[in-house]
Amino acid sequence: MQNGNGGDEFDAVVHNIKDAFNKFKARQGGRGGGGGGRGGSDGEGENPIKGILTIILVALLAISAWKAAYKVEPDEEGVVTRFGAFNKITSPGLHFLIPWVDEVYKIQSKRLQEQEFGYRKATRIRTKGTLTDESQMLTGDLNLADVEWMVQYRISDPQKYLFNARDVIKNIRDVSMSTMRRVVGDQLVGEVLTSGRARIASEVKDLMQQTLDEYDLGLTIALVELQSVDPPDSVKPAFNDVTAAKQEQEQDINNAEKEYNRIIPRAKGRADEQIANAKAYAIDIVNRAKGDAEYFSTIAAAYKKAPKITRRRLYLDAMEEIFSGVDSFTVVDDEVRGLLPVFGQSAGLLKPAATSKQ
Amino acid sequence: MNAKITLPIAGVVVALIALYSCTYTVGQWQIAIITQFGKIVGEPILKPGLHFKIPMVQDVRYFDRRILSWDGEPSLIPTQGKYILVDTTARWRISDPRKFIETVQNEGRAERRITSILEGKTKNIITRYPLVDTVRNTNAIIEKVKKRETQKSDEDAEMVTGEIDEVTVGREQLQGMITTSARPEINELGIELIDVLIRRVAYEPSVEKKVFSRMISERNRIAEKIRSVGKGEKAKIQGKLNLDLKTIESRAYRTAKKLRGDAEGQATKIYADALNQAPEFYEFTKTLEAYKKTMPEKGRFLLSTDSRFFQLLKEGGRL
Repeated sequence: MQNGNGGDEFDAVVHNIKDAFNKFKARQGGRGGGGGGRGGSDGEGENPIKGILTIILVALLAISAWKAAYKVEPDEEGVVTRFGAFNKITSPGLHFLIPWVDEVYKIQSKRLQEQEFGYRKATRIRTKGTLTDESQMLTGDLNLADVEWMVQYRISDPQKYLFNARDVIKNIRDVSMSTMRRVVGDQLVGEVLTSGRARIASEVKDLMQQTLDEYDLGLTIALVELQSVDPPDSVKPAFNDVTAAKQEQEQDINNAEKEYNRIIPRAKGRADEQIANAKAYAIDIVNRAKGDAEYFSTIAAAYKKAPKITRRRLYLDAMEEIFSGVDSFTVVDDEVRGLLPVFGQSAGLLKPAATSKQ
Repeated sequence: MNAKITLPIAGVVVALIALYSCTYTVGQWQIAIITQFGKIVGEPILKPGLHFKIPMVQDVRYFDRRILSWDGEPSLIPTQGKYILVDTTARWRISDPRKFIETVQNEGRAERRITSILEGKTKNIITRYPLVDTVRNTNAIIEKVKKRETQKSDEDAEMVTGEIDEVTVGREQLQGMITTSARPEINELGIELIDVLIRRVAYEPSVEKKVFSRMISERNRIAEKIRSVGKGEKAKIQGKLNLDLKTIESRAYRTAKKLRGDAEGQATKIYADALNQAPEFYEFTKTLEAYKKTMPEKGRFLLSTDSRFFQLLKEGGRL
């Protein structure tokens, strides 16, 4: 709709220019053609002034036409002022304005913009020292930490962005630096360096938004991100040593636990084995005892029925068995005297018997 | 003939100049003041757009109505013993152009006046409080540390280092105090002071060096503690290992012994019960068995006929 109207307007302007140009050309041609024949002062005086005026007029028109049209890129919005006063906001596309009276400011409101603190991505300044002024800050326990962070924002209200502060970027940077230090200033250095990063970022984001809203700059903070958080360079080795110490601690504990795991389960198994063996022994001897007892009881019962004859039988059986294998033996009756000579004579025979018994 | 064209053109040009000189525009971001021979006439013009004035007689002066930034030089301020570098920034706005013109005339001079006022106020206020008040905002950190200490976990204990003193006012309030104390004086200049922010606080280089060495010694302390805890844990585990091992082994020994003892007792009882049924028969058979076992299979035998063994031989007939 607006574009259509604008198109007509544009056509009209173009037409005017063409018209004027054609007239000018025609006049020039006329002058060129009759210049030689005429010598009058009238013509000489009239024509150059007319020409100059026309040139000025055409130039003015051309500049006006050029000024009248403007294009708003897809990621922009145009803020138009008329006689300096805010007039309207135009969306992406081709637009027209009244030359000399209207002014357009193109604001990249659809694009996320970024500010970096403590580092610069573009120039790759990662060398500490140059930007420590930005990155170094005090923590709540009065230690120091190097914090590098990034703020992404969007211009949510181009009019406010344009007219409420002279240097918006500077305000963003000042507020961000102050806020980050405020939040980090309430943390322990350990938290800043490790677990607290995400929380710090979101707190900074909220507080920044709050402050910028007070200034009414038409800005929305999209993201605050902590890029790197380090202890200051000269303290770094000591911090690394703490990490190393943690590793060593883990290692010590692991080794000890390894030893424990190597020994204890085995000992448990052995204990179980020992107990099982004892149980086996117990069952063994009890059963044997029972067996023996039953065996004896049975025999004893039989014996009781005929004790005398059984005794004799058993005795004789035993004797038979004992004496069957003996080479020789001497029975000494207590009525016999002088036994020793007999013994001494065959002392040689006694020896093998003694050894064989061993 | 010349005049015919020149005159109207001259007329138009003059008309344009006249028109131009009796109008002026005020931008959305501007305040205009009309002066007549250097004297201010009427109220400041706040409404943006096209306005009219008397040409040649009245002049227009413009002022920025947007938020302007003031940047302080980082200054060294003593805070109860410690020198710190404090970098402040402020936002201001021309609120009363008339006063502004009368007192400072232009932004450059305004900034110089703001600098002298704010630097003094900042120094006065910050120096009255300990360093922690410029760094921290709340005492939440102390609660946190206390909680940590009551939990007394070894891992957390390492995180608490440095100096943690109580905050009496805090950073935010200090900023507020600087702002409110500077506001009346700055207001006199036709300027509204929006806020003062402490942008940066840093240690003075010699203090910084001390802080670094303190941090290093703290880290060393922590590292040693961690190592020592590791060694302690290791010893603990080794002790437990020994204890568990001995417990397991001795328990097994005891259980095994008891099992064996019980069984032996039981067996003894079984034997006794059985043998008690016929003790002399048991003795008899056992003796015979003993003979069998003790007699050599080969060899020479020497026995007295007195022994019970040969009683039969001696008194065979009497059996």
